[in-house]
Amino acid sequence: MADHQPLPAAAGSLPDRAGAGLKPEHYRAILAEQPDIGWFELHPENYMGAGRGAGGPPQYYLERIRALYPLSFHGVGLSIGSTGRLSRDHLQRLKGLMAQYQPEQFSEHLAWSSHGSAYMNDLLPLPYNQATLQLVAAHVDEAQDYLGRRMLIENPSTYATFSCSEMGEIDFLAELARRTGCGLLLDINNAYVCAHNHGFDPASYIDAFPAEWVSEIHIAGHAMIDDGIEASGIAGQLLVDTHDRPACATVWSLFRRFIRRAGPRPALIEWDNAIPAWPALHAEATRADRMMAQNHAMHCLAE
Amino acid sequence: MSAYSDLTLLQQQFTAALLAPSTQIPAAIAPTDEAKRQKRFNVYRNNMHAGLVAALGARYPVILRLVGDEFFQAMALAFIRQEPPTSPILAEYGAHFARFLETFEPTADLPYLPDMARLEWLRHLAYHAPDSPIAAIAELASLAPEKLGEIRLHLHPAASHLASDYPVLTIWQTNTHDATVQPISADRPGETTLITRPKLDVLLCPLPIGAGIFITALAEGETMSQAAASALADAASFDLAKTLAALFDAGAISHIQPD
Amino acid sequence: MSYRSQNLALAALATAVGAAIAISSPASAQQSADKERCYGISMAGKNDCASTGNNSCAGTAKMDFDKGAWKYVAKGTCTSMQVKLKDGSSRMGALMPIKG
Repeated sequence: MADHQPLPAAAGSLPDRAGAGLKPEHYRAILAEQPDIGWFELHPENYMGAGRGAGGPPQYYLERIRALYPLSFHGVGLSIGSTGRLSRDHLQRLKGLMAQYQPEQFSEHLAWSSHGSAYMNDLLPLPYNQATLQLVAAHVDEAQDYLGRRMLIENPSTYATFSCSEMGEIDFLAELARRTGCGLLLDINNAYVCAHNHGFDPASYIDAFPAEWVSEIHIAGHAMIDDGIEASGIAGQLLVDTHDRPACATVWSLFRRFIRRAGPRPALIEWDNAIPAWPALHAEATRADRMMAQNHAMHCLAE
Repeated sequence: MSAYSDLTLLQQQFTAALLAPSTQIPAAIAPTDEAKRQKRFNVYRNNMHAGLVAALGARYPVILRLVGDEFFQAMALAFIRQEPPTSPILAEYGAHFARFLETFEPTADLPYLPDMARLEWLRHLAYHAPDSPIAAIAELASLAPEKLGEIRLHLHPAASHLASDYPVLTIWQTNTHDATVQPISADRPGETTLITRPKLDVLLCPLPIGAGIFITALAEGETMSQAAASALADAASFDLAKTLAALFDAGAISHIQPD
Repeated sequence: MSYRSQNLALAALATAVGAAIAISSPASAQQSADKERCYGISMAGKNDCASTGNNSCAGTAKMDFDKGAWKYVAKGTCTSMQVKLKDGSSRMGALMPIKG
């Protein structure tokens, strides 16, 4: 089994600045204002047409935005944790789109979303054990070989855990990176959501996350829903990763905590539902930029 | 695959329970109490279905308006159960919604619904279709008259048509543009609609009688002359001049092939 | 020989093409906005909700598979669409409850 070392940031990589998820609602505002923002991230699946080739507004706007900004492809369709074979069709489409738009970064999720011929349109949880690790590592190897580039794997938001899990998520991800050379995408909100839902300390998780492998951070908002009555008689609450509002104060402070330890990283504001007007989204990105700059200034002062 | 047989079984059970709510959730989901296990699993079930219902609603906005939110949700859930997605590309989902509506008993009183679904699906395809140049009708004027019998008109990749027994374009129009929907009488004749996207906006245009046959013949590779003969054979009132003007004006012709 | 392989007389074609050019307004295709003939609305922003799961169009708490969802009638605009049914009768399309 390969034993990889973390790669230094390659030329043409994303800047250590805040980026934003690219939404059709904002195409025109972005082109008109050409805002000061580090980069944009998109789901490549939304730029693959509807089964008969791809053109029209999605390609038109992406071409123009790509000419102005670095891009990150954040895949949601590879189903890297499925025991079924990786879809060659999908890998081929990804490779074609990458050749066309030359994204600086590509990431996917530690999750599965297909079984047999069915795609579930959701990122589903995996038990963390040696068998899963072997499977996911083989799929990451296959995808990286086929696409001819390094990918990042993101820690997911989960709502259920499995009795057959034998290791922690962080150990799983660190070992996956070591075996395959893939990078990691640390989603601060996912960490917080999981910590709440499964009862662990989010700060410890953030502190233990192997920063040397982290090439991107996600910041997002979540919702709280009823989780039934606890044994203590108190109504339980479950956090759901909805990406439909600003990140909460705790997520921001966990972000600050991570960059204090690890330094700045490309940091994405993810907002996929109840999408605000562009200035509001841009303001969130500016906030992340400011935090990273302040942190940098503090480091300089200390030296 | 044997190394992953436990995980395969888990994913199979998980999938079954996602798609059919009556199926038991996987035993491997870590136990707290049963109600909680159910609650947690339902987040996945709801995420999946809410995402798909929303995607269908975005794809079929007029159907959504025609039947209302709640009804649409139940109808979409019935469709999802019958036909879950088979592609990681969400934009490919819902192609068979029209076919589903043909046999969906609760909407049997809305016989125009399947054609409305077809219209909205074609509109969706046109939005995502590959780009192509557009031919100008003036190019026809520059051809020697004796060449007219030989030419082929190539349709733009975004161009398609729908011939319906119902006034679907009129229904689509009022449900898309009017705050208060205009009443539409049962005596209104059926309509043939051209769907295309010359640049960035998808256009829906009414077509004259026989134009549907003409377009189908063009798509099958017939010359303009043969296609016109086909259309005339089907409808004696077919008007080639009006049809050509409609097709070129809407940017539905990408290329004139001389012979 | 099928009717499909027949041709129109050249003279008829030339006349039709001439008339087509006369009645066409080609600027409309360039502008994508011929309000007289075609209906269009911009679909930008009507692209699909992003994707899946962690990035989902989550309606998490809103959907309930176990109760209620199957008992209702349409509340949309279909009721102003009069339709002719196969038996020749025309009807306003008021829908029935989906399930008991």
